[in-house]
Amino acid sequence: MPKSTTQTYKADILAIDDTPENLQLLSQLLTKRQYKVRSVTKGTTALRAAQAAAPDLILLDINMPGMSGYEVCEHLKQDERTREIPVIFISALGETLDKVRAFQVGGVDFVTKPFQVEEVLARIETHLQLCFLRQQLQEQNQALQTAIRSRERAQETFTKAFRSSPSPIVITTLETGRFLEVNDSFLRLSGYSRREIIDQTVSDLNLGISFQDYIEGVIQLEQNRVIQNQEFDLRTKTGDYRTLLLSVELIELEGHRCALSIGSDITQRKRLENEFISLVSHELKTPMNAMIGALDLVGTGELGMLNEKGQHLVNMAVSNAERLVRLVNDVLDLERMKSGQLSRCPGICRLPNLFEQAAAVMQPMAQAADVELVVKPVDVEVRVDCDRIQQLLTNLLSNAIKFSSAHQTVWLTAELQQSVSPQLLLTVRDQGRGIPEDKLNLIFERFQQVDVSDTRQKGGTGLGLAICHQIVRQHQGRIWAESCVGNGSTFNVLLPLGKDA
Amino acid sequence: MSRCILIVDDEADVQEIAKLGLEMKTDWTVLVASSGADALRMAAECQPDAILLDMMMPEMDGRATLRALKSDLSTQAIPVILVTAKAQPANLSDFSDLETAAIIAKPFRPLRLAADISESLAWS
Repeated sequence: MPKSTTQTYKADILAIDDTPENLQLLSQLLTKRQYKVRSVTKGTTALRAAQAAAPDLILLDINMPGMSGYEVCEHLKQDERTREIPVIFISALGETLDKVRAFQVGGVDFVTKPFQVEEVLARIETHLQLCFLRQQLQEQNQALQTAIRSRERAQETFTKAFRSSPSPIVITTLETGRFLEVNDSFLRLSGYSRREIIDQTVSDLNLGISFQDYIEGVIQLEQNRVIQNQEFDLRTKTGDYRTLLLSVELIELEGHRCALSIGSDITQRKRLENEFISLVSHELKTPMNAMIGALDLVGTGELGMLNEKGQHLVNMAVSNAERLVRLVNDVLDLERMKSGQLSRCPGICRLPNLFEQAAAVMQPMAQAADVELVVKPVDVEVRVDCDRIQQLLTNLLSNAIKFSSAHQTVWLTAELQQSVSPQLLLTVRDQGRGIPEDKLNLIFERFQQVDVSDTRQKGGTGLGLAICHQIVRQHQGRIWAESCVGNGSTFNVLLPLGKDA
Repeated sequence: MSRCILIVDDEADVQEIAKLGLEMKTDWTVLVASSGADALRMAAECQPDAILLDMMMPEMDGRATLRALKSDLSTQAIPVILVTAKAQPANLSDFSDLETAAIIAKPFRPLRLAADISESLAWS
């Protein structure tokens, strides 16, 4: 086999025979077929020649004076430089050829004298081919080994990066939210073991995300391929909440669409933020108390009458101070709920009573705005934090009234629903200006109003719906808004009515 | 009927507002204490008809002061009204373990204070 294209011969063959005639015959025969032939008559010379430049094949006579063919072969096989060279033994017809020994010492074949040309050529050709193929196989094998090793190294690098990443990482199937892979950091955070998580779905584990929320996330992911830095409260195995700043990327694994989620635990940071807000709010309230009290005393006129303008200004100061107090109260409430300091106190209340109380609180506001309040409860007992649900209803009603015009109606209704388990649907509907579609989800965030001027014009704090969101979340329910701009809005609250609800 | 009220608050301005509000509406004697420790001493000494106690105070807060008042034989009968910024309806459960006669929300209206106190203590 030619080793390179510049070679003019097919292969380099070393022929060893103590009979010069035989050598000459072989040499002629092979040279004619484009082989390069080196001929030697002694074993020792042959070994030196083979070591100096390894031939592609050796033809070796067995019966030679001094060193026999077997011995030469043994030496060749002991030397690393010549070990791989195929050796074909030559024996004269009638000589006793020990075939077994020939193979034992490392020969690959034998030919007999007088030579049958075609047979000799065929055997040489076959062994050269075999040798070439073996070499090729070895090279391929080596290349394969190298490729496997580098792939293993790469895999190890990525596996290590995934497994020991300080940030929690999760891979789930997109459609069903089934866990395919999670890293140690996520296990530590969530409190679950790998076995408890893998193959479970997001909703199986009650991680603080409802299936509905998950589906909404999926839709968002399908639209943008990526979700960046969204705050998410993860419910751990022990029932605590940890706040994650979550980024999600759509990836494909073995033909399936998956979500790669990477989070960072910002619970501590949030806690400090909340503590700061609490502290500031309390510090704000003390001077507010003195201020409102002082204004109140001045405003009554008992310290001396004010003129009309003076009275107007004092009233203005009082109403603004009161607004500030409402804001501080809302901020405090929200932060305490979010940080879990204000946990739910479940009690049993009758829904008609809850509705009645909420309506009674809101009636003066509705009357002032000339808005009709229609309340239609269902007669059912619910196990909820009654004060909180009351707060939820008044917040929603207050919003609805605020955004209604005179002579419009606001409805507060309830409906029992039976899906997997019984649920209560509370609805507050108005005929106001409505909410643009792109704002429907946003309005449940702090200080996110449809119009930035709303806070001032409508006297709200921008926190009412965020508080509602928190209350509903504490009840493991769901709140969402539906609206058509110009055609009013509907706020829906779905509360589970299970025995724990 | 003339009454004696002890106002306990670490904020001088709030003390003054409350005192002024009460004095404008009633003929009650209004005493003020700026700390829990002062309150204990004055309550034992002056035996007021009621104590208006602020929750948020440095060192000895309202809760600790209330506990001390209730464990002292000379003061335990005096009704205590808590004044707190946490008095939103949803937070009232925070105080359910305390022996209070009533809770008044901060910020309070000084001119309504006398009426609120009379109402909650059923004073005629």
